[in-house]
Amino acid sequence: METKMPMVLDVISENIIKHGSPLALKGSEVASWAKELNLPVKGDLLFYTGGEYQMLPFIDSLVKTITHLDQGSKVFSMMMGARNILNKTGISPEKMYASVLAKDKDRYNSVCFKAAKVLKELGYEFCYSGSEELYSGALLYELGYLKDMKDYAKRVVEVIKKSGAKTIVCLSPHAAEVFKFVYPKLIEGFDFEIRTYIDLVWERRDKLAKITSPESVVIHDSCRLARELNIHQELRDILESVGAEVKEAQMNREWTSCCGGPIKILFPELSHVIGGRRVNELKDSGSSHILTSCPYCLSALEGGRAKGDSAVIEDLIEFLYRGVKA
Amino acid sequence: MTDFRKDFVKYAKSLNEASEDKNIRTAISRAVSSYRNTVSETLERFPHTPALAEEVQEIKTRSMASLDTLLEQAMASVERNKGKAFYAKDHQAALEIALGIIGKGKTVVKGKSMLGEELHLREYLEENGNEVWETDLGEFILQLRKERPMHILSPSIHVPREQVAEVFTKFFKKEVPPDIAEEVKVVREFLREKYFTSDVGISGANVVAADTGAMVIIENEGNVRLATGAPPVHIVMVGVEKLVPTFQDAMKVAEVTWRYAQYGVPGYVNIVSGPSKTGDIEKVTTYGAHGPKEFYVIFVDNGRKEMAQEEKFTQALHCLRCGGCMYECPVFQVTAGHFGHTYMGGIGTVWTAFVSGGMEKAAPLVYSCLRCGRCVERCPMSINVPAMIGELRERIVYGTYED
Ligand code: SF4
Repeated sequence: METKMPMVLDVISENIIKHGSPLALKGSEVASWAKELNLPVKGDLLFYTGGEYQMLPFIDSLVKTITHLDQGSKVFSMMMGARNILNKTGISPEKMYASVLAKDKDRYNSVCFKAAKVLKELGYEFCYSGSEELYSGALLYELGYLKDMKDYAKRVVEVIKKSGAKTIVCLSPHAAEVFKFVYPKLIEGFDFEIRTYIDLVWERRDKLAKITSPESVVIHDSCRLARELNIHQELRDILESVGAEVKEAQMNREWTSCCGGPIKILFPELSHVIGGRRVNELKDSGSSHILTSCPYCLSALEGGRAKGDSAVIEDLIEFLYRGVKA
Repeated sequence: MTDFRKDFVKYAKSLNEASEDKNIRTAISRAVSSYRNTVSETLERFPHTPALAEEVQEIKTRSMASLDTLLEQAMASVERNKGKAFYAKDHQAALEIALGIIGKGKTVVKGKSMLGEELHLREYLEENGNEVWETDLGEFILQLRKERPMHILSPSIHVPREQVAEVFTKFFKKEVPPDIAEEVKVVREFLREKYFTSDVGISGANVVAADTGAMVIIENEGNVRLATGAPPVHIVMVGVEKLVPTFQDAMKVAEVTWRYAQYGVPGYVNIVSGPSKTGDIEKVTTYGAHGPKEFYVIFVDNGRKEMAQEEKFTQALHCLRCGGCMYECPVFQVTAGHFGHTYMGGIGTVWTAFVSGGMEKAAPLVYSCLRCGRCVERCPMSINVPAMIGELRERIVYGTYED
């Protein structure tokens, strides 16, 4: 039997399969953060972004569009199908994405840059696939497109293999999750060592520079990191090493509350409500400086924060980078 | 070709509306903190519970693997106890068997049962000329409001006392103040009369011991005790997944159920295995002494056996319906039973696909699950709902399911 799924799912899955990015971003755009760093394309340790942080400002612009349009409407399908029906309609994703604020683009793009800088400071040497890097396909897996994922994963692995790396360090816990638990089932002989960014920082946390932050911080544990990958104490250890005072939310570690991000594309309003509640839970800890370690959490919490709320929401990477600059 | 697009839009609207409903919000946040407190307190008081829960997982795994044998045994036990046992393959069969026993023009009192909701039992019996009363306070309120339950254990979780007073004032045709004690009292008076004048009492069961044919029913209000004890006929309608091999097993399942279902120690645990009887006069066994003279058990399949045979889903049948996962679900916390069809939350979504509604009803629910996994942390049976949701998504995307 054939099923017709909501347009947004079609678009995202097709974008991944055809363009190696859920939002069909160009490889050159995704890799632009690395220009000045001259990272090698080959090495033992592969720095893997999956284009996830880079994609965040665009997701938001699309979600904003969805929020104002009925998901069944023509306009909506045109907006969402932009890259796919490019030829028919003449709408270019560049135009559609043009509304994204430059400062948002810069901020999220620079997360990768900052992450790389922090690792360098800690003495890690690594390579990066640059504009060839493909998205991990985590959303194909999440959304049920597992058969497509099988073929797609092969292409991802080809790119990874070119690097000659034995170890992959993932910025996003979602990428780490699929590489660790899903890829071995799909691809024979997929034997890369999968590390999270947090793992690497944690191992050399003694070398981190102290960060003088006047306020305390509170950790939003990402579901994937805390429950699937069992990483939560590490975040606290890292923050302790840089001298930050950590407050705890009532629901934390393996009991953490989801940010609402996973349903953002299909149920954007509800996702915002859930994100907003989580922001409040976190603030109840007594700190309004929220740190997370997952691109989707970052974006969902930002989206859920009430208008006028002065809470600071950052990725741990951004926070640690303060130590690098100093 | 099945087009899900409109269903998703409709469902998204209902979720959005629910998430703006202040009653739901307040009620659930109260319920969530009370749940968390009671459970952590009682787990401290009864620290053997998690280990017992693990044992129950094993019992459940064994039971689901030998479902047919257990069913046969249980039916034989019920008959040996002078009850009558039936097996209903599906929804329609279950309703028809019940109606066959009850007939028309009867008054029926009913205990709370999710299976009853699944079958739309009350509505069916009413359509067929019977008067049916829900005796669980929450269900009674919903019966008057013509609504469906918003939580499996606290069905009227979303209705504050003011609204209860409103609907009672209208129904009882007298001023009922928005005072909880008063509200409880009027229902008590009304239903007491019903228990003793009704023809049939219907209940579910939390667990069934195949060796003895014992039906274990956990409750706090005492309504089940009355509804199953006072009328001359007692019908138990129970899903086949509630079967376990022995009475001892059943006790373990019951204890774990009530502990995680926020009972602490439940007010009542009813164990019913057959009709009421006496041999006090000349040792002649006579049925219907004080309790029911007739005792019927309808074992309902309705998709459960199919689920038991699916390796990826059989674990969903271990669900004790403690409701813990719902309290920990971020989607449920803001939308209550709107995230559900008959069964709610993530586990309810799996049940919707197989038992109550089918894949097409389940599809939008399947995609509103965050797959965040906190339900697994909470679940005493460690049911891996996110994995099942993933599997359902795959079947939906590629249309590889039967409806
Ligand atoms: S899935 Fe687990 S937590 Fe949820 S109701 Fe069933 S037994 Fe309880």
